This record gives sequence, structure tokens and C-alpha cells, in this order.
Amino acid sequence: MDFTFPKEYQLLRRMVREFAQNEVAPLAREIDEKKEIPRQLIDKAARLGLLGVPFPQKYGGMGAGETGYCIVMEELNKVCGSLAVIIGAHIGIGATAIYLDGSEELKKKYLTPLARGELIGAFALTEPGAGSDAASIRTRAERDGDDYVLNGSKIFITNGKLSDVVSLLAVTDPSLGARGGVTAFVIEKTFPGFSTGTEEDKMGIRGSDTTELILENCRVPKENVIGEVGMGFITFMKTLDLGRLSLGAACLGAAQLALEASVKWARIRHLFGKPIAHKQSIQFMIADMATEIEALRSLVYRTAWLVDTGQPFSREAAMCKLYGSEVLHRCVDRAVQIHGGMGYMRDYFIELMYRDARITEIFEGTSEIQRIVIASDIFRQEGVRISP
Amino acid sequence: MRIIVPIKQILDPGGITVNRRAERIFINREEYIINPNDKNALEEALRLKDEQGAEVVAVTMGPERADDALREALAMGADNAFLLTDAAFEKADISVATTVLGKAIQKIGDYDLILTGCRAADTGAGQLGPRLAEYLGLPQITEVHQVLVVGDGRVRARRSWNQGYAEVEASLPALLTIALDANQPRYPPGARIMNAYREWEVTVWGASDLGIEAAELQPLTEEKRISFPPEREFGVKITGAPEEAVRELVQYLKVRRVI
Repeated sequence: MDFTFPKEYQLLRRMVREFAQNEVAPLAREIDEKKEIPRQLIDKAARLGLLGVPFPQKYGGMGAGETGYCIVMEELNKVCGSLAVIIGAHIGIGATAIYLDGSEELKKKYLTPLARGELIGAFALTEPGAGSDAASIRTRAERDGDDYVLNGSKIFITNGKLSDVVSLLAVTDPSLGARGGVTAFVIEKTFPGFSTGTEEDKMGIRGSDTTELILENCRVPKENVIGEVGMGFITFMKTLDLGRLSLGAACLGAAQLALEASVKWARIRHLFGKPIAHKQSIQFMIADMATEIEALRSLVYRTAWLVDTGQPFSREAAMCKLYGSEVLHRCVDRAVQIHGGMGYMRDYFIELMYRDARITEIFEGTSEIQRIVIASDIFRQEGVRISP
Repeated sequence: MRIIVPIKQILDPGGITVNRRAERIFINREEYIINPNDKNALEEALRLKDEQGAEVVAVTMGPERADDALREALAMGADNAFLLTDAAFEKADISVATTVLGKAIQKIGDYDLILTGCRAADTGAGQLGPRLAEYLGLPQITEVHQVLVVGDGRVRARRSWNQGYAEVEASLPALLTIALDANQPRYPPGARIMNAYREWEVTVWGASDLGIEAAELQPLTEEKRISFPPEREFGVKITGAPEEAVRELVQYLKVRRVI
């Protein structure tokens, strides 16, 4: 057993860390305030391959697998939650759906420009009446000659406004339900009948847009079906499995920064004549943060190893998302406490981290959904099928 | 056009703490990086490659771990890399390093330009470039901020000159040392990082590959002791009319028995 990262991953981490520190960190506050990421920054990230990390080089990707992707998400989320979320939605779910089940033609046509960052992707599952219960989706796709005609709407879509291409789930046969009746499509936003609606005003990750998508007799060629007709639910569930792992990695990065900032602050902030690092109350918080972060790191990179070596990973990936987001919540909360008044001030980055962190326990399946996924998997091994 | 870029791997200064009072250097994180100034040389070579086409060759002398510096150079855009490593090189001083790198460059051959940093951030000697130019019998331009034109057997470069710049020409092949603030070295793209370790090769040469005799590996200098420089005291600024100022300076030096 060897826990050291191979050399290429060590250099990748250093490159991303330097890029994040030099190019992204100085803009983080402005991105939050203006609710916008400069396109130039996304293009810079794309030139370094950061928009196609896990995909093979023959599809324009970096060829760094899930391990590489976790490293990138960890380092980027240390400095800018919005950029990490944009890339997470683009790679982790938007492009991954095409990579997992798309035809060779779809991969050439869409995955390659997505991986190169020439196109930005999004993933559209959630509707006003359906989220993690994907079986309740209402968006309809009806066959008409060589096309499908789509009607309905999707809400809370990350990159809804920014993206060029959306992986989207719609009902093709209402009589068959989630398994058999739901199909995944790649939709170009220039297709007639496609429009974007309301953009949400959020607590955190404000540089990444969360937007409504509207389909009014939107015509989509049948070649744009991802995988087989009726199998979209399975494609989307497999995609979300992978997305959960990278979200755990992103949480790891932010939690690590919360710890590092707290340690630094504890050394310089004096109280009753001594740095607060000498107070046991502070030491215990630091020790708890460091311990949880270390456990999360092991979980995340072991799960990445499971994926990269072709082993089952669903349960562990759900654990990465669940534990990662909750560790981050606790770490960033303690960081605010250790920083005292400074931690609450908008001039200082801890306040931004606190707002950005909260979503991780909600999006791409709440903590409660992750617990259902984990428990179902445990009971399934015992021969017990539990329904949510 | 072939451009050879000698680089040096150094201990990352970001991972060390200097304790003046204890006269000790603590290594908190043992990580090695390409000497930052050598990255400027590499960047200048890669810029020329992008603009007019060139084969960029990175070369380093060092222990086996210096392989990482070459992989990073490949990831940044170098086409070939040579690692000069041998147990016999371990005690090399700057004169031996010049011989080893010089022989390797002669063996690579057919080069138009050699670009390297002005000085290494660890030893700060700043000798390799000029020594190498002498060893190879090449014209040299030091402290270059920008290589302006390469072609027709000549190179023109902008270099520091007093408080400004001078444009200097030399015939090819030539050696140029690149200034620390000449450019902003690029980040290595991720896919090239993967390929640098998984796909591409670094050629390894030892003393016998370079035909170096034992006598040539005898260092001319010997390290006796490493000590901290004394802390500098604040200087005194003398202002006023030149005649007045000179009188004041002479007075100042006389009082302190300097003159």
C-alpha cells in the first residue's frame, strides 16, 4: 500500500495551486460581488486543461482521471467556490453524462469541445416538482420524425445562463416510469424553442449562475439522445455518483483552507497577553478540524482510486459528498468562531467561505439523500430493498 | 533552430525557515523546484518556439531527483530533456558543472542559442552562464530582458544597461542569460504534465557518456564552512549640492578612520 501521489499528480497539484493563488484568488471577492466570473478566467483555466480533467486526451481531456479531477476541485475550491461549482457542473455532471453513455458521435461533437473548454456544459434534472426524486419529472419529449419535441421547464440549473450545451432529462414514455420511460438528451442552447428564465439570487457561490431553463416545442435531433432511449435515469444516476466524489474533494479544499487560516489567526491574535493558540478551547477546535480533514482526505482519494481502478464506488462517493459537506460546515463554522469579529466581516474571506459552504449540504442531493443512498446500498447487500 | 536551456533544480525556498539567532536553516517541507530565474530562460525559449518555431532542449546536472525539473520543463513545452547524473558529479563546484554541461551541450550539438538564468536562487553565484560561454567559445549577452530578433546568423537582445536598456547584437550560436523579471513563465498545461511523466522520455547521461575524465571532475573550490552574513546596518544618505556632499562624505569617512 502506497499513499503517496504519483509524481504527475504532485506537479498537477502545484500547477493548479499556483494558478488558483495567482490568477483566481485576487478576483474571488469581485466574482462574488459582481455575480459573474470573467470569461477570460474560464478561458485561462481551459488552456491549462482544467475544464476536461478526467476525460481521455483523445476527447480533448487532460487524461488525469478522477484522482486528477479531485486534486483540481480541491485546489480550486480553496480560493473560489463559484469557479469550482462552475467547473463541477460543467465537467462533473454536464460533460460526464455524455462521456459515460454518449455515442462516439456525441463524444466527438460535444465532449471534445466541452473538455477543451470551447463549450460550457450544464446538467438539467431538477424541476419545480422533482429533484432527487427524478421519477417525478414532467418535462416531456415526444418523437416527431427524426426529432424529439421537448416541452417543460427545469429550475435551479447551475451554469443555466453560462452554458452552451445542456445534458437534460425528459420523459419519453410516461407509462414506463423512471426506468424505461425517461431519456437523456444533449441540447444546444441555440436549438429553437430553448430559452432561459429566472436567474436565482443566492446566499453563496454567487459567481455561478443558477437559472431556469424553458423548453417550448424545442426540437432536438434523435442523434442527441445520450445512450439508449428510456435509459436516461440510469445515465443520470451514474453521473451523479461521480459528481458526488468531486464535490467531496471540493469540500476538502475549502475545509483545509479554513484550518490553515484558523492556525495562522490563532498565532497572531493576542488575548490576555498571549496568542489565542495557547488557549485550550482554540486548540481543541483546531485538533478536531485537522482530524476530520485527514479522515475526509483518505476517504476522497481512496474513492478516486476505486473509480480509476474500475471498482464499485457508489456508496463511498455518497459518503464523500455527505461527510465532505458536513466536515466543511463544521470547519468553516469553527473558523468563523476562531476569527471572532473578523470572521464575520465582509472584508475578510472567511465570511465568503461561510456563505459558499452552505450549499454543499444541499445541491446534487442533500445530506439526507446521501444517507438514503448509503443505507440503501448497505441493506441491498443484506438482500433488503428499501424504498425512499 | 535549436535552443538549449540549462536549468537547475533547487530546494523550494518557500519550504524553509531561516532562524538568524540560532544561525540555522530549518527545512519544513523538502520540495524541489526549477530555479525561478531558469524558468524565465525557459519561457523566453518557448516564446521563440511559439513565434518562429524552435526545438527547445532542457538540460540539467544533478542527482536523480532532478528528473522532476526536466519533466516540468517538458510539461511547460520543451521538446527534449537531458539529465546529467553520476556519482562522480556529486562534489561538483561551478567549474566542474561548467565542464559537465559544456560537454553535454557539445554532444547535443547543432544549437543556435543557449538561454539560461542569470543566477540560481540557492547559491546566488551567477557564474554558470558566463563560464559556459567561455567554455564553448561563444559570444554572450547577460541580463537579457527580451530576445528581439533571431535570424540570418545573428541575435539581437535588449539587456539592462545602467538605469535603462541597451540593444545588443551577437553572432550565432550565442549564449544569453535571461533576467529574473524578463517575463512571466507559463503554467504547464495539465495534459502535458500527464504526458511528461507517462509518455515522454528523459535521456540520462553519466560521466562516461560524456567522455569526461576523472581529472576534469576535480573541483577547484572547496566549501569550508557556511555562515550567515552579518546583519546590514542602515546606511547614511548624504544630500545637498555635490561639493557640499563630497565634503561631508570625506568628513564622515575620516571620522570613522576609513580614509
